[in-house]
Amino acid sequence: MDILKDIFTLHLVLSTLRLATPIALIALGETFSERVGIIHVGVEGTAVLGGLVSALVAYFTGNAWLALIAAPLAGGLAGGLHAVWCIRFRANHVVSGIGINILVAGLALFITSSVWGWRGTSTYAPTLNIWYISCAALVIIIASQIFIFRTKWGLRLRVVGEKPEAADTAGINVHRTRYIYTILNGVLCGLAGAFFFNSVGRFTSGMVGGRGFIGIAAMVIGNYSPVGALGAALLFGFIDALQMRLQSFIPSQFSIMLPYLLTVLVLAFFIRRANVPAALGKHYIKQ
Amino acid sequence: MAIGPMFKRSVVLKEMGITLLSIALAFAIGTIIIWIAGFSVSAVFSNLWKGAFGGKLAIGQTLAKSTPIILTSLSFLIAFRCGLFNIGAEGQMYIGAMAAAVAGAYLRLPIVLHVLVCLTAGGLAGAFWGWIPGYLKAKRGVNEFVSTMMLSYVAIGFTDYLVAPRGPLHDDKYWANQTIRIAPSAVLPRILRPTQVSMALIVALFFVLLVWYYLYRTPAGYELRSVGLSPTVADYGGIRIKRKYILALSLAGLLAGLAGSGEVLGTHLRFIGRFSPGYGWDGIAGGLIARAHPIGAIFAALLMGALRAGGMQVQRSGAAPGDIAAVLQGLVIFFIIAPTLIRTLIRRRRR
Repeated sequence: MDILKDIFTLHLVLSTLRLATPIALIALGETFSERVGIIHVGVEGTAVLGGLVSALVAYFTGNAWLALIAAPLAGGLAGGLHAVWCIRFRANHVVSGIGINILVAGLALFITSSVWGWRGTSTYAPTLNIWYISCAALVIIIASQIFIFRTKWGLRLRVVGEKPEAADTAGINVHRTRYIYTILNGVLCGLAGAFFFNSVGRFTSGMVGGRGFIGIAAMVIGNYSPVGALGAALLFGFIDALQMRLQSFIPSQFSIMLPYLLTVLVLAFFIRRANVPAALGKHYIKQ
Repeated sequence: MAIGPMFKRSVVLKEMGITLLSIALAFAIGTIIIWIAGFSVSAVFSNLWKGAFGGKLAIGQTLAKSTPIILTSLSFLIAFRCGLFNIGAEGQMYIGAMAAAVAGAYLRLPIVLHVLVCLTAGGLAGAFWGWIPGYLKAKRGVNEFVSTMMLSYVAIGFTDYLVAPRGPLHDDKYWANQTIRIAPSAVLPRILRPTQVSMALIVALFFVLLVWYYLYRTPAGYELRSVGLSPTVADYGGIRIKRKYILALSLAGLLAGLAGSGEVLGTHLRFIGRFSPGYGWDGIAGGLIARAHPIGAIFAALLMGALRAGGMQVQRSGAAPGDIAAVLQGLVIFFIIAPTLIRTLIRRRRR
């Protein structure tokens, strides 16, 4: 029982909230883009890019707020790239996302060694209190829930993902809607990247470490709703926090792989409801 | 030579043309990046070439790096042909490598048999690691790109634990995270001394032919591809899609497991924790650049291997960080995956 007391502390609750933040942001972004029909597996790479850009801006300007603004911008740019590739050039969505992941991984190593002389890590730079981002994330998520299910714009974006032909007939610009929300996904992932940078104080190439994919898992479990995504993200945040507490009790290699293993298990045992947008991953060709 | 019953010669030539143009475009953008970053473009490219093809040692490096990438590319593309994304080749490779290393170090068998047993062990262990996401996809509808990725992290952590200083398979003679050496009878011999090229290359090429034969010359392979082309049509045709999903990901795991086995039996002669510089991820790139064709995987893997070998030389020479090779790799993929991009560019030129 003493061990349990050592593990379950207020600290654990706070770490859960902290670690859930980037996962929730990524899951929210993915919810937006998949709701309009665009799968984005590049969220992992986009978050890495956000962290990298934060570190670069914080290092060169010394201003943590500028860094916080730059990361979502860079993320939005990457989201835009993905959108152009999927919509304009009709690339396979998953393949294009993988492309972003690989390209950013390469860029991260190249840029860190060029700028700081170390492969994959930056120096420490000024940061912000990450609770700002966590609180902002909470507000954004609740606002998004209302936006998607209670406003006309939300209805439009859902129609684009369900029945693009019908949306088109009703005068909704399908491609433009898809561009907007794929870019928004990038913006949110960039913000998640900024969170990673601010919580560590510097950039390391492994700091996202699969949490982009865990974000996608959270989106799936959250059943394409922002609040659902938040709930799933809190679960994964808790697993992550528990993992860190357990490091003093079991070999670190074991505890490090725990979140990944549990993600697979949660996905396997979670009961599926059917909110998958009908036009997910399909290219829309205007007649 | 027939490349595949589905492709006519003219189509193949056109696809190859588009691929080469994509590579050229990627290198052009790469040049701009090198220039912006303030490095000497000529020094970077001359060292890239020198490290990849400048002499016997360089070519040996390229071939040695390409060997596992051929197999991981096959791993990606066989799942891709079934409409699935195996982005967990890295982890399947680690599991396979570990099984091969254990079989190589702890079994006592006659010379040829031992190697075969080790390869089988590695392949089957990898296949098991691919079977898990396949099973979850078929039975529980779990996204395979999420689960293969997650299981990769699990595999890397788990094997790392096994060879860590207090782990059960750690070689106590050294501080490094590694197993004991495999028996001499389990070694895949070197074929291009003094370079690291081993018989693993022959194994890889053999599997290229095998995968090609399976996909394009057998009914089972035809069924697998038809699931990838259209699951609904395949379903109407009486193909059991779920079984094909499990099979495709198991085969993908098998091929990745063999990639790891080849590294253990031919290159390192033991399992070393985190030995891979990312051959599994390179396989995704390789499979995409090959346009998911097994024969193309040889050339795609050669490109990836050359970039890795060349990148090391760029690093040594101090011309630029060697990771410029990874940037080039990323750019190549990006242009390759948007075939309509190149077509649009060609059409604009004509107008």
